[in-house]
Amino acid sequence: MYFIQHIESITHQDSFRKENLWSNLKPLDSDHALISPDYKSYIPAATLRRLSTILRMGITASKECQEKVFTEFDSISVGTGLGCLTDTEKFLLTINTVSGDILSPTAFIQSTHNTISGQISLDLKNHAYNMTHTQNAISFEVALTDAMLCVYEGKKSVLTGAADEAISFLERLRGTLIKTTHPFTSGVTFAVISPNKNQSIAHIQACEVLVSDQTENAVPEFLKKHRCELKDADLILEAGEQFASTGKKHVNFLTYSGYYQSASAFAFHLAHDWFIENKTAQKALIINNLESGKLGLTLLSRNEA
Amino acid sequence: MSDLKENLKAQIIEQLNLEDLTPADIQDDAPLFGDQGLGLDSIDALEFIVLLDANYGIKITDPNQGKEIFQSVNTLADYISKNQ
Amino acid sequence: MHIYVTGYGIISSIGENVEETLHALRSEKTGIRQGQKTYTERFKVGEIRWSNNELVERFSLTQHASRTALLGMIAAKEAFKNHKLLAEIKTGLISGTSVGGMDVSELAYKDFLNSKTDDLNTYRNHPNGTTSEQIAKELGIDGYVNTISTACSSAANSIMLGARMLLSGQLDRVVAGGTDGLSQFTISGFRSLMIFDDEWCRPFDETRKGLNLGEGAGFLVLETEETIRKTGKKPLAVLSGWSNASDAYHQTASSPEGLGATLSMKGALEVAGLKPEDIDYINAHGTATPNNDLSESHGIRAIFGDAVPPFSSTKAYTGHTLAASGGIEAVLGILALHNGSLLPNLNFSQAIEETRLTPIKNYSEGHEIKHILSNSFGFGGNNSTIILSKI
Repeated sequence: MYFIQHIESITHQDSFRKENLWSNLKPLDSDHALISPDYKSYIPAATLRRLSTILRMGITASKECQEKVFTEFDSISVGTGLGCLTDTEKFLLTINTVSGDILSPTAFIQSTHNTISGQISLDLKNHAYNMTHTQNAISFEVALTDAMLCVYEGKKSVLTGAADEAISFLERLRGTLIKTTHPFTSGVTFAVISPNKNQSIAHIQACEVLVSDQTENAVPEFLKKHRCELKDADLILEAGEQFASTGKKHVNFLTYSGYYQSASAFAFHLAHDWFIENKTAQKALIINNLESGKLGLTLLSRNEA
Repeated sequence: MSDLKENLKAQIIEQLNLEDLTPADIQDDAPLFGDQGLGLDSIDALEFIVLLDANYGIKITDPNQGKEIFQSVNTLADYISKNQ
Repeated sequence: MHIYVTGYGIISSIGENVEETLHALRSEKTGIRQGQKTYTERFKVGEIRWSNNELVERFSLTQHASRTALLGMIAAKEAFKNHKLLAEIKTGLISGTSVGGMDVSELAYKDFLNSKTDDLNTYRNHPNGTTSEQIAKELGIDGYVNTISTACSSAANSIMLGARMLLSGQLDRVVAGGTDGLSQFTISGFRSLMIFDDEWCRPFDETRKGLNLGEGAGFLVLETEETIRKTGKKPLAVLSGWSNASDAYHQTASSPEGLGATLSMKGALEVAGLKPEDIDYINAHGTATPNNDLSESHGIRAIFGDAVPPFSSTKAYTGHTLAASGGIEAVLGILALHNGSLLPNLNFSQAIEETRLTPIKNYSEGHEIKHILSNSFGFGGNNSTIILSKI
């Protein structure tokens, strides 16, 4: 069993250190902005000064998770769709504008995708398995399946999650490469998964990814494999509008998260908190159809009392 | 020389994003690296090389050279005035 | 349950396929030379001579894509060439890359900065994940496709994840490895770190100054025993051990005592159920940076004590191929197993004073080599080790 022990998000919603995301949830309006905690109380000044926002968010959410679960993480598995975009663009700017050979290295160092998970291990002084997965819109799900694999192999306290950040350059790709009407946003979600129930209220029943041109039958097949049907889902969270849902409650999570490649990690947090919001809910399904040609499917269930 | 040191301190703060510091917080002879001083590390040493190139036209090609030069604001200023 | 290697493919500056690679190893011929492209011409690099368009034509690829994706397609195709896609054998693809399609997106971005019209379609190739999707498409693989991006340990981590996906029964067969094409971004990045040697790199040498960069790809096909019964494939080697650990010391530097390296080697030996004395050859990470080689030497000493087996870094052959290196070196490891070869550490002359380790100096064959340990270490202290064993 894959019990969710704790979960934290830093997003454009008031989502950090909250009992239940649904109580303050609002559709993003025109003056939405990232709601940042006080990073200084989580990250030493000597480290903080260099870090881009996505790194600050990742470390802070992870650290809060570590403080809540006590047991030192014995695996870390992080997903990111586009990685550290701010530093990537900064270094591209440097190499195109600075003449000569002497270039500032900091943006380059922090441009690599695994800076997020690497900084988490550095900050927590954690020597465990440390993995960074990136598969466009299903980056969170591939990281989550690895985290579940770690639990399957016997790990007891696995940190998993995803992080992505918006840069203004993305607006240039709107309508052509990125077809969405939702605002580009930044977000991180981190969760701790364990084989022990402890105080957990919900567990991950299954998570699967599919990269294929043929995804039409994937949802019913996935549900059938895990012995349930669409009507059993008390909540269906999905990203594309084309999915004809017959669930009891159907939510397009991008309305709340905005668009970022690993936004389904926020949906995972929403799904978890639905079991707090709705005392009778038993199952929540996330259909991550953010990009065509790939699908992430995650099924959460309330723990038995 | 004191102008050079004051400029240097401002440039160090900017180049290394030492947002919480003002030039007055950096003593001329205080160690810049290690736990006793500002706590700077090997990445900052590379940023110092960028600073010297961009602001003073001084090129350091061997990072090992930096160990002596970047000890304090005094040693930096001394090196700049001799090599500019 | 054993994880078998049933295919392997490689492209790097020393050869465009397995056969050419073995020939270069035997003749001790480096692939590193003066660069031929605008962004490499000032440096010594392990560059593949063909342009992206030439690669598509030469290797009959069906897609135009970034260099990283193209090199990945070439090596993955070679690895998978005698394999068939079958509905009952669930096959996945896991590839590692550090910069993905940067070699093409950086050109478009340059046009954008210079107020020229940048072709927005170019950025389609940029994401790391896209390179893997393109490689999978070239092979006809769909279903589970994943990309690992842990800098220079990416391919080793892909291979490790592949084995774990097989062991847990989520996949029956997996094509796993890594790929990275050279780009201006990467070259400027390593120059900014001042760990870039303008001369030939000298791994494990007292006088080493830094690395030479390279490009390429290396992939393995992994199958379970049960899958082999269905595919009838001949096992070529056993992937017997793997491990990843975090050094958690510094953003770029490895810990002086090589803690992360020690943990990953120890972990891989445990998975394989082997003792240090069972290892017949170590293919070290050995980038030739002052920091890595010293730290790794300490790690090797910590595991093997005074009985360090023959070891070498093959980076002086290929250059440091970053995310591809673990895949490329896994293929070199299999070649060493097959031919009983000890691969030389080119350009070595003087041992590091502090650790006094002398690597293999010359190529030789006919040794009894049963187990090979291969290290791949990445930025952010991401340390990985895999162990390959003879059938």
